[in-house]
Amino acid sequence: MNILLAEDDHNISKIACLALEKMGGHQVEWVSDGKTALEKALSGDYDVILLDEMMPELNGLRVCELYQSQSPQPKPVIFLSAKSQDSDVAAFEKIGLGFIAKPFDPMTLNASIQSLMEKVAA
Amino acid sequence: MAYMSFMELKSLRMQVELGNQMELELNQLPSDLKLTPGTIEKLKAKAAPMKPTLRLAGMELLLEKADKRHRRSFQKHFKTFRTNETEFRRYTLNQMNYLEKKVLFLTGLGVVGLLIGFAFLHSFIKVLVIKPIESLSSKMLDFLHNRYTYQFGVPRNDEIGNLHSSFNSLAQRVITHTDELKSLDQAKSDFLSIASHELRTPLTSIKGSLSLMRGGMAGDMNEVASELLGIAEMESDRLIRLINDLLDLAKIEAGKLPLTTVWVSASDLVQTTFKSLQGLSQSAGVDLVFENHAENVQVEIDQDRIQQVLTNLMSNAIKFSPKGDCVIARVILSDQEGIRFEVKDHGKGIDPEDQKLIFQKFRQVTGPNNPLVKGTGLGLAIAKAIVEEHQGEIGLTSKPGEGSTFFFTIKKWRFKSAENHAEAS
Repeated sequence: MNILLAEDDHNISKIACLALEKMGGHQVEWVSDGKTALEKALSGDYDVILLDEMMPELNGLRVCELYQSQSPQPKPVIFLSAKSQDSDVAAFEKIGLGFIAKPFDPMTLNASIQSLMEKVAA
Repeated sequence: MAYMSFMELKSLRMQVELGNQMELELNQLPSDLKLTPGTIEKLKAKAAPMKPTLRLAGMELLLEKADKRHRRSFQKHFKTFRTNETEFRRYTLNQMNYLEKKVLFLTGLGVVGLLIGFAFLHSFIKVLVIKPIESLSSKMLDFLHNRYTYQFGVPRNDEIGNLHSSFNSLAQRVITHTDELKSLDQAKSDFLSIASHELRTPLTSIKGSLSLMRGGMAGDMNEVASELLGIAEMESDRLIRLINDLLDLAKIEAGKLPLTTVWVSASDLVQTTFKSLQGLSQSAGVDLVFENHAENVQVEIDQDRIQQVLTNLMSNAIKFSPKGDCVIARVILSDQEGIRFEVKDHGKGIDPEDQKLIFQKFRQVTGPNNPLVKGTGLGLAIAKAIVEEHQGEIGLTSKPGEGSTFFFTIKKWRFKSAENHAEAS
């Protein structure tokens, strides 16, 4: 799959890229802020978009809202977040496909994405 | 004044009445009057107390003439006297009536004036004293309902004014303190959200890197590298637990963790906890025993949170139990306390000194030789906060050498069958 990863923490991005590319066999494009993420998401061709919730410029939820309103055929969006309160989770599931809780285990990251993507297929 | 005159007239009239009686007596005198000097003296004595000078003079003249036996003259003077007397009586009577009316009128006027005075005094006191005190009292009630904003305008220069000034100072202090507390509370909330994000972010990288290495991303590792990796993984797990516990505690203490309560079977609660601790109990070689003394009982709790308390108490009990021993969980129905959950171990027990400290933050009785996973030192402090949030009590009984029993109580309970729910609160 072609994946767009928006994550402001360099190290977390590196680990996620390693896991997704080396273990999952996906192609990953990484950006580190919300504004670039929105531009890339609108111009590029991705199968899934991974958005960190807390990012400079635009936060993940806002990027998702703008992307979905501007893109003719929006692709599934998955959030990465340390927030785990019920209200936050509900927002992630309402606006996007769902969320992966931080800290995530890179060994299970591919499986988590896979199981969320099955929701789209279903 | 009028009253005094009235009283004088009244006494005068009494004397006049006396005079009238005397006149009657004189009238009844026989026509051939022969008065002796003794009789004259007697008449004089009778006439003496009569006040009005006119009357006295008339009487004296009368007596004088009578003494000289001039009958015609006596009759003439007697007639004059009677006329005068009648006029005098009429005059005094009129005067009395007039004065009586005047007294009544003045009394009435006085009463009305007094009433008006009282009314004025009342409204005066009401405006100057009662109203300000009432408004002060209502502002104080506002305080009671957390409305602190009101302050009195320019206070008067009297006792009530002093009271208002004192109130203003008090209000100002409360407002300042409340603002400080609000900003502190905000700072605490900010800290919580920053801490949870900022502390977890580097840990995500650490845990992620370790996990990828363990997964073979960096190639095969020798035994030492693998062991060192194991230590790093264990300690970063412990760090994550510590951060989670600290944030939990901070949230509970700040009241930022509202309870979501549901009715749950007490025995299910214990069984679920047993299941989750199966791995730990097996590796420690400790049996878990459930003694249910409260069948068909439900408790109203935040299930996740109370599960957390039970797990904490049971995992502690397992950790401190000798191998091959058992940990007993009991559910007891108590009239006073509601439902009591007990966790009993047969470990070394806890010194009375340590018992006092055990529910405080970062107080662990875990010795350095404890072979099992070290805790964060926050488990019991969190358990206490959660139980107290449920209006319950938490505590322990322990004797060194005889093991410990930790307990907590839940007040809201009922029997499971709907038609027979003896709900207690």
